Amino acid sequence: MSTIGAAGVELGRPDMIVSDGVDKWYGDFQALKGVSATIAEREVVVVLGPSGSGKSTWIRCINRLEVHQGGSISVDGIELTNDTRNIDKIRSEVGMVFQQFNLFPHLTVMDNITLAPRWVRKQPKADAENRAMELLERVGIPEQAAKFPGQLSGGQQQRVAIARSLAMEPRVMLFDEPTSALDPEMISEVLDVMKDLARGGMTMMVVTHEMGFAREVADRIVFMESGEIVEVGTPEHFFTNPTEDRTKLFLSQIL
Amino acid sequence: MTMTETPSSRIEVSAKPPFYRDVTIVKWLVQLAVLAAVIFVAWFLANEAGDNIRARGLTSGFEFLSQPAGFQVSDGIDDNPATGGRALWVGMVTTLRLAIAGILSATVLGIIVGLGRLSNNWVVNKVATVFVETLRNIPLLVQIFLYFTILSGLSRVALDTGPINGWLHVSNKGVAIPRIKIADGFYQWLVLMVIGAFIARFVFKNRVAEQERTGNDSFALPIAAAVLAAIGVIAWFIHPIIGFLEAPLWAISDVLDGIPQIAVQLGLVALFFLAAARFVKNFRDSRRTPAGMAALTDDDWFRQIFAFVAAAMASVFVLIIWPGLSDWIVNSSSDLFGVLADKFGTNPETGADRSGAPFAGERPDIVQRGNFPNYGDSGLQMSQAWAAIFFAVTFYTAAFIAEIIRGGILAVAKGQSEAAAALGLSRMQALRKVILPQAFRIVLPPIGNQYLNLTKNTSLAVAVGLADVVQVGGTINSQSGKALSVFVIWMAFYLACSLTISVIVNFFNVRMKIVER
Amino acid sequence: MENSQPAPLALDPDHFNVDFTAESDLEALPPEEPGLAPKEWMQKNLFSSVGSTILTIIFSIFALWALRGLFGFMFSGERRWDAVATNARLIAVERYPLDQFNRIWFSLGSLLAMAGLSMAFFRASGYFTLKRIAMWLMNLGVLGLLGVILTPGAKTEVPPVVEGELPTFIQDSFGEAIGGRIVWILVSLVTLGIGLALWYGLGEDRRRTMRIASRWVIAAGFGLAVLSLWVVPYGRYFLENGVATSEPGLVAASTRIPWTIMWATFVGALLLGLALRDRIPARPPKMILGLLWLLAPFILNWIVLRDPDFDYDHVFSTDIPMALAFMLVGGALLYWLSNAGIGEKGKIVSIILLAFALFNWVAGFFGIYPMLQKARLSFLFLGLFALIAGNFSRDVRTRMNYVYAWMGSMAIFHWLVTAVNSPSTLDITSDTYLGGMTLTIFVAWLTLLVSFPLGVLFALARTSDMPIFRLLSTTYIEAVRGVPLITILFFFSVIIPLFLPEGMELAEVAAVVVGYGLFSAAYLAENVRGGLQSIRRGQFEAADALGLTSGQRTSFIVLPQALRVSIPPLVGQSIATFKETSLLAIIGLNDLLRVANNTIPSQTDFVGSKKEGLLVVSAIYFGVSFAMSKYSQRLEKRLGLGTR
Repeated sequence: MSTIGAAGVELGRPDMIVSDGVDKWYGDFQALKGVSATIAEREVVVVLGPSGSGKSTWIRCINRLEVHQGGSISVDGIELTNDTRNIDKIRSEVGMVFQQFNLFPHLTVMDNITLAPRWVRKQPKADAENRAMELLERVGIPEQAAKFPGQLSGGQQQRVAIARSLAMEPRVMLFDEPTSALDPEMISEVLDVMKDLARGGMTMMVVTHEMGFAREVADRIVFMESGEIVEVGTPEHFFTNPTEDRTKLFLSQIL
Repeated sequence: MTMTETPSSRIEVSAKPPFYRDVTIVKWLVQLAVLAAVIFVAWFLANEAGDNIRARGLTSGFEFLSQPAGFQVSDGIDDNPATGGRALWVGMVTTLRLAIAGILSATVLGIIVGLGRLSNNWVVNKVATVFVETLRNIPLLVQIFLYFTILSGLSRVALDTGPINGWLHVSNKGVAIPRIKIADGFYQWLVLMVIGAFIARFVFKNRVAEQERTGNDSFALPIAAAVLAAIGVIAWFIHPIIGFLEAPLWAISDVLDGIPQIAVQLGLVALFFLAAARFVKNFRDSRRTPAGMAALTDDDWFRQIFAFVAAAMASVFVLIIWPGLSDWIVNSSSDLFGVLADKFGTNPETGADRSGAPFAGERPDIVQRGNFPNYGDSGLQMSQAWAAIFFAVTFYTAAFIAEIIRGGILAVAKGQSEAAAALGLSRMQALRKVILPQAFRIVLPPIGNQYLNLTKNTSLAVAVGLADVVQVGGTINSQSGKALSVFVIWMAFYLACSLTISVIVNFFNVRMKIVER
Repeated sequence: MENSQPAPLALDPDHFNVDFTAESDLEALPPEEPGLAPKEWMQKNLFSSVGSTILTIIFSIFALWALRGLFGFMFSGERRWDAVATNARLIAVERYPLDQFNRIWFSLGSLLAMAGLSMAFFRASGYFTLKRIAMWLMNLGVLGLLGVILTPGAKTEVPPVVEGELPTFIQDSFGEAIGGRIVWILVSLVTLGIGLALWYGLGEDRRRTMRIASRWVIAAGFGLAVLSLWVVPYGRYFLENGVATSEPGLVAASTRIPWTIMWATFVGALLLGLALRDRIPARPPKMILGLLWLLAPFILNWIVLRDPDFDYDHVFSTDIPMALAFMLVGGALLYWLSNAGIGEKGKIVSIILLAFALFNWVAGFFGIYPMLQKARLSFLFLGLFALIAGNFSRDVRTRMNYVYAWMGSMAIFHWLVTAVNSPSTLDITSDTYLGGMTLTIFVAWLTLLVSFPLGVLFALARTSDMPIFRLLSTTYIEAVRGVPLITILFFFSVIIPLFLPEGMELAEVAAVVVGYGLFSAAYLAENVRGGLQSIRRGQFEAADALGLTSGQRTSFIVLPQALRVSIPPLVGQSIATFKETSLLAIIGLNDLLRVANNTIPSQTDFVGSKKEGLLVVSAIYFGVSFAMSKYSQRLEKRLGLGTR
């Protein structure tokens, strides 16, 4: 059992995500073993760990793409339960970016971005499209609005995916290995957008293998292994002076 | 693990949400509502049908199976069936004969045409293409009518009756060829052959073990085949000794007949609840983890409860809604053993001499039927209708099978033929050793589908008056008005055929996969 | 993604490319092997080895024998093609009254106009390269020459014409009947010549790149067929005092003007569509055309062809007020329900509405309180409309559009139901105003319309994560796929009346369409399921993460992609459905096949001439199925390119 302390107390900001003793099984394999953490508003947390350590499962539980079986998760004071109203609220407050982009291939970039604002937020079409153009400019590809995802490069697709999530004006953004499926030369364009977002004060949870990004942007780093949080700390603490042996081993393999 | 007091403890403590907002409950409520609606509609329709049937003086039920048929059946194993059940059986046999003959010939023709479609030879290729494109784009029924009409235009049967000297006779009455027929002693002989097959298998395994031990070729297969053949010959003469089976089979039949209805019903109910309990046990096992039982979600609970609800519903069905079902199961299994018993020993009633030879050869003959000469019972005749439907389903299905085979070979051939060529295999070798075995796996499921289609398509025999199971059922319906019962029989028969074919195809499919590894 | 890339050739100024280019095809032309000299070609394709040579000889003999048989059959003196010619009207529309024939022409004209406009707006047109056209012409020429050589000689014995008996018209070989085979030789040679001229006149490059959009080939072929009505002396057959009589000369004076108008309608619509499509926004005309294709079978069948005899007293006193009430009150209710702030109150109201609608049925069945069937259905629609109201709670315009959609569908629905319930003015028995081709076409079309939504529903249920839905749908699909269609048709035409409550009747055609629809829905469901299973998990997750409801996820994300993947198998299923309409003949409806197989041979003048009619019917079925399957292959290629 492991816990990150109440970040809100230290930072003087309210808590955004509270994960309390979250358990998750796949058949008889326990993927999450009582994961507890609290993430404050405007905090950027990078989750590191070897593959199969449960980090993706964890952030997918926060968006209820996976249903946790023990413990509790709440986002912005709303607990994730079977209550449809809470699920809808949390989904519209939490944006998610996937490893495989998961853009809708049959819709144009513009339609990809405006779909949810129009049908979930019930925004008029013109407003949604104006907002979408702003977001596309922010991620640097306003000229691609009329194209289909299949006509874009991987980096561009991932930036569209980020814009698509931002269009719902979420209070939290979750990134599930956003650069793992990209060619090396495209990684930086996506990371730049994410850094920009972090500077803007977005609460972010990022699962990634990009150590440079973690060191530069993260407020805190969470290291997970076999379904447990092993160590938590600032980037400085984490990269220069880790306390746990398992963390040291991981860092020696990866750096 | 402790929760620290936070300045922002704004968490709404999770009281259970109201039921109409709970994901799991809503999901199951919707499903149960739809299920209830389906059951209501079914019940309502059945009720309505019952009223209408009574109003029209019709009765439902299956009495016609044991009542005199009162009509003749053409082209079947029995022209003048005694009961409605027998008539339906005759129709089923006709359907099965058509289906099996059609499947065999369509497969052969389909493979030839499919390979022709891939041929480098321009003429062969074009002929195959025209065959496929024409035949698969003309509806089967149109083809049946066309072939039937063309066959009607053939010359008449000559007037001189008697056995036909020759092997093949074609006329406007159809086609006739000699045949080998199952004779009275066949079933006794078959039992001995099954025993013989086990002996041959034992010999085969023995020889294979011998070969593995010594390394010498032990001729396992030829020896086993010789043993089986020898047993077959011996059994030909000694099969009457199996006649004693008659008595025990009758005994089983009698015992079954004596089982009271309530016992069967209770047995079925017990079976349903056992199945539900088994499901729940397996389900809980799958949720059990080394760390103990995983927390069960509401959804999981619903599943377990629903298993028992389903068992209870099935029990209500056999106990209250259709109590006759249990009776029917007992009676028909009793009858089945009676029929089996009839195949053994001597039965003075049917007058069949079970001690005779298992097979007999026959040549077709021509006899006077009413005012016209026609083929007699001897030999194998395809009547005009039979031939029309047989050729139609063969050609039609062959066209589809050809396309499947072509697609399968093309799918494999792309990379594999190059690899085979790189290894120095010739074109023919590559085809036989590399491409065909792989293509076989790809084409097997869709070809199985075509077999199913062919079997169902034989039902169009009704259009040219061939007495298959649909036509006989239709006749029974128009005589007794028992449409629902007839439909149930059709459905059961065709579902049984479909299941049999899928089981066979799946068997080969699995075999191929094992071979691949 | 179809219009996202311009056709590569259209941009290339080097290629000769008049407006005939089909814009929809993206296929780049593959480099072709250089043409072989005839001798080399034969060596490669006919005589590459001893085995191949033997095969060539055997199959050539077989093919020539089969051709000779076919030609001999077609042009034999025994063939009574006049049976088909005389009964052409019977084959097309069975016994639709002659004085009402304008209704048939109007229906056909509407369909052709819609087809022409659709070809233009949906850009659903391939192309034929001149190379292929040249090849066709050459093949036709050779086939014609072969026919002249192969066809068996003329029958020399002409049966004597007996007074009072039916004269046989075409007793001679085809040659003598048209002034000797020399005509055919000339025609074949000219065709061959044009083909050769095209082939060699253009040269390798141009015959591959010059091409004609298939819509113009269709228009030209149609035009030629119509033109031939004016020119070729087909001979005219008619029945006079029960005796078939032939009259040489110009054919079908009664149909050549209408057919010309039909052709003009088609070409006019095509030209109009082409002229308009780049000047007006693309979506509205496409949507209108789609709606028309959906509604056309109902309107044409029940209103145009059936000509309902409206009881105007009843219409004004009951039908119109009722429709207006539903339109206005329902519209107001829906407008209120699509109010953004309505929250859960809206859901509760819509569920109450649905429950009320269902209760109406139950109450009706038990005879508690009577109500017009139309009203019950309208309440059901209202409930369904109310359920999706939340999706339109945006600005006033969206809400009003939603209300207009309700009003429009109510108006059409009430109009159609009133028409169906009114007796027909045609003086033939109620049910049989359709027959021949018209019956075949309408049954196929209605079946597709019925089975498509059902099939999608079953597919969704079978792939859903709700076990009871899965169980019900799987049971249904497997049970239906396990039995032959004919048993289901028997079942529906015989048993349906037993199931209906007292006083309710269903026309036999309608019962059959329901049976067909339920049958083919099971097959369609399997095709759609294939498409649904091809969608990756991530698409569902992305939709969930964006907060779409499961209904929105299904209709915006899942189905559009799944249906796109399943288009080729769906077209295949449509072909199968079209072919299966021939089974109508077995259950005694006068469709195309039954007219040829039963009606014509039972006429005293044409006793036993079945083969001719059956061959013509085969040709019709073949033509339609073959064209559809070729179109499906092209579509498959195009979709394969589009999705990457």
